[in-house]
Amino acid sequence: MHRFRGQLLAAFAGALLSACGADSTTSIVSSSTAHGTLAENPPFRIASLNASAFAANLAASTAGAQLLQVTGAPLCGIDFYYIKFWTVGAAGETTESSGALMVPTGAAPACSGPRPILLYAHGTQTDKTANIADITNPANSEGDLIAAMFAAQGYIVVAPNYAGYDISTLGYHPFLNAVQQSGEMIDILTAARTGLPNTFAVATSDNGQLFVTGFSEGGHVAMATQRALEAAGQRVTAATHISGPYALEALGDAEIFGNVSLGSTVFFPLFTTSYQHAYGNIYSTTSDVYSATYATGIDTLLPSATPIDTLFANGALPESALFDSTTPVVTIPGEPTLSAQLTAALAVPSNPNNPETPLFAAGFGSPYLVNNSFREAYALDAASDPDGTQAPTPSAGLAVAAPMQTFRLALYKNDLRNGSWAPTAPTLLCGGDKDPTVFFSVNAQTMAAFWSALSPNPITLLDVNATPSGSFAAIQVAFQESEAAQLASLESAAGGSLSPTAAQQQLVENYHGDVAPFCALAARSFFSQF
Amino acid sequence: MNTASRRALSVALFSASASLCQAAFCADTAPPNEIRAGLYALFYDASAQNISGPYAPAGLNLSVKNVQTLYLAYVRTLTDHFNLELALGYPPITKTYGRGPSMLGSVPYNDVELSSARWAAPTLLLNYKFLNENYALRPYLGAGINYVNFYDRESTAGGNAASGGPTQISLSRSLGPAVTAGLSYRLARNWGLYASYSYSRVRSDLTADTAGIIRTTRISFAPGALVVSAGFSF
Repeated sequence: MHRFRGQLLAAFAGALLSACGADSTTSIVSSSTAHGTLAENPPFRIASLNASAFAANLAASTAGAQLLQVTGAPLCGIDFYYIKFWTVGAAGETTESSGALMVPTGAAPACSGPRPILLYAHGTQTDKTANIADITNPANSEGDLIAAMFAAQGYIVVAPNYAGYDISTLGYHPFLNAVQQSGEMIDILTAARTGLPNTFAVATSDNGQLFVTGFSEGGHVAMATQRALEAAGQRVTAATHISGPYALEALGDAEIFGNVSLGSTVFFPLFTTSYQHAYGNIYSTTSDVYSATYATGIDTLLPSATPIDTLFANGALPESALFDSTTPVVTIPGEPTLSAQLTAALAVPSNPNNPETPLFAAGFGSPYLVNNSFREAYALDAASDPDGTQAPTPSAGLAVAAPMQTFRLALYKNDLRNGSWAPTAPTLLCGGDKDPTVFFSVNAQTMAAFWSALSPNPITLLDVNATPSGSFAAIQVAFQESEAAQLASLESAAGGSLSPTAAQQQLVENYHGDVAPFCALAARSFFSQF
Repeated sequence: MNTASRRALSVALFSASASLCQAAFCADTAPPNEIRAGLYALFYDASAQNISGPYAPAGLNLSVKNVQTLYLAYVRTLTDHFNLELALGYPPITKTYGRGPSMLGSVPYNDVELSSARWAAPTLLLNYKFLNENYALRPYLGAGINYVNFYDRESTAGGNAASGGPTQISLSRSLGPAVTAGLSYRLARNWGLYASYSYSRVRSDLTADTAGIIRTTRISFAPGALVVSAGFSF
């Protein structure tokens, strides 16, 4: 009986102490914060869509359906991974960043097995929470673009959100900082290559080809990345840079002298905050650069979780008035002619023969963002040490001497002509010559002219708005027909019955973004040769 | 077993309890300690809030599958009418299933087994036995508390696919009320047979961690437990 009692008690004990198994675990969290480290391996898959489901998702929205017309039907399904990795900020700060790894899936030969990697840099986002990996977010139009254009056609797509966005706690965004942003691109590439073998998409692997591309801000980032990879001896198979501000000194000069771009009141604070963190000498206080109306808090304003339209409505930023409509009168002792020339150059643009005069003039007003004193100091530096594109004998080179004005010097440092690098990999520069946001002539054409004097010269320049010719003629035709159709739509009842003038203005405002899918298509066509 | 059949069984057992004890051993006082063993059939009546967290589409929910397991209990007789029951089940593996859209993107969800967990759920009940020891068949009612600890929590391959990667599941512990109604039938001085039906309330916060992405839901169970057991007194 005692023995029987013992067995019963043993059974009780077994029931009480039966915690003998182990709980399942999640991804391995890296203990290293070295740049290029994948923080969580395997990465988190946000969504998995087969080709037909992805096509159906896109087709459900007007913008998505239009995108499908440009990209063509998806060949592959896509697994969308959200990767977190370690990188460094502009001042060497260790920071976690995030981005997308889009892996093609499916039975088609182009969708599995060894596939090329496409490293993509996105355009400027004002939304601090933006996550290009989040394909479930209807506002993630650039995520849709790269997924439909590249991942759904068999490219393994890697794209960072950039430091300062999403999970990054950096506190600012290193906007157009060539060293930081190219470093971050290489870091996410390293992290993505670490995580790829551990994803659900085990049938898809890296074939060793690397294509680099990006749009707008990302055009600069992609070009800086190509430069950094080639300098490090890492092979870039081919690159396409789309509508980017590459020749930053030339661009800064153009803006200061009145060619104010669409969106400049957003870009300018991003520039000064970025370079203040990197170099520490852009201003002592923000009021050195900014008018009293906007100086307070401007250094932490962008990117923001608050929608940009709300920031405009709340008076945190002017929508377009970058400069004071009461322009400075320059007085340089002993230099009356130069003083008069600079005064005229800083005046509100009024040339009636220039179709861009209304756009440029909209950059002046009151209240305004940037002080006249800052503008005048920059202009004096540009006058004494002109950029190659603005010199009396125009050339495509940088200023002969390094600028003295600190903001102009920062642009000079991040100008991709600096260092006299030219690509060794085949490179396509793509944009539209009517781009009001990032001027095609100042950037793409300047780089092409600059590189034309260097060798080797594997450069192709494509203006999607030019008379169609050559291997990209079909894309040029498609872009121009799309713009014409959009203009007609804007004037139609369905499009809002805008007046011809208002419709044209809306078309101008959309132009920069309109170029992106067509240049991305050109990139895909260009890459398919390799 | 549906609700009607469970009720019919209970009524039949209670009706039988009116019969007087026929055996000579009925008048003997049973020893105060008793061990019971039998079958524990758990009928989950579970509801959960929709799963919330990053990248969780609207309308994702869970369901829980009924299980059977080994019942073990220690009973201490306090008086002729009262006893204290510490009821245990051999911790069953409880499986959760997706409830909601048939697919998440291209990943199956509805009715897919997502996770499993064992749960140790000791219940302490104070029971009141009707009639007296002269009756072999005695109905009883009880009330007490139920404690639940979940462990061996596993996300299945289907769960990992639906969640987006290897997933760590945690379920918070629960403490809630429990009630029971049952019948005892005394076979001999040391041996008895028992049937009871119990309800308890269990609430647990489920947290799923997939590569640092946290999704949560609160699951509320009102598990009904049908127990058929035999006991030995000593």
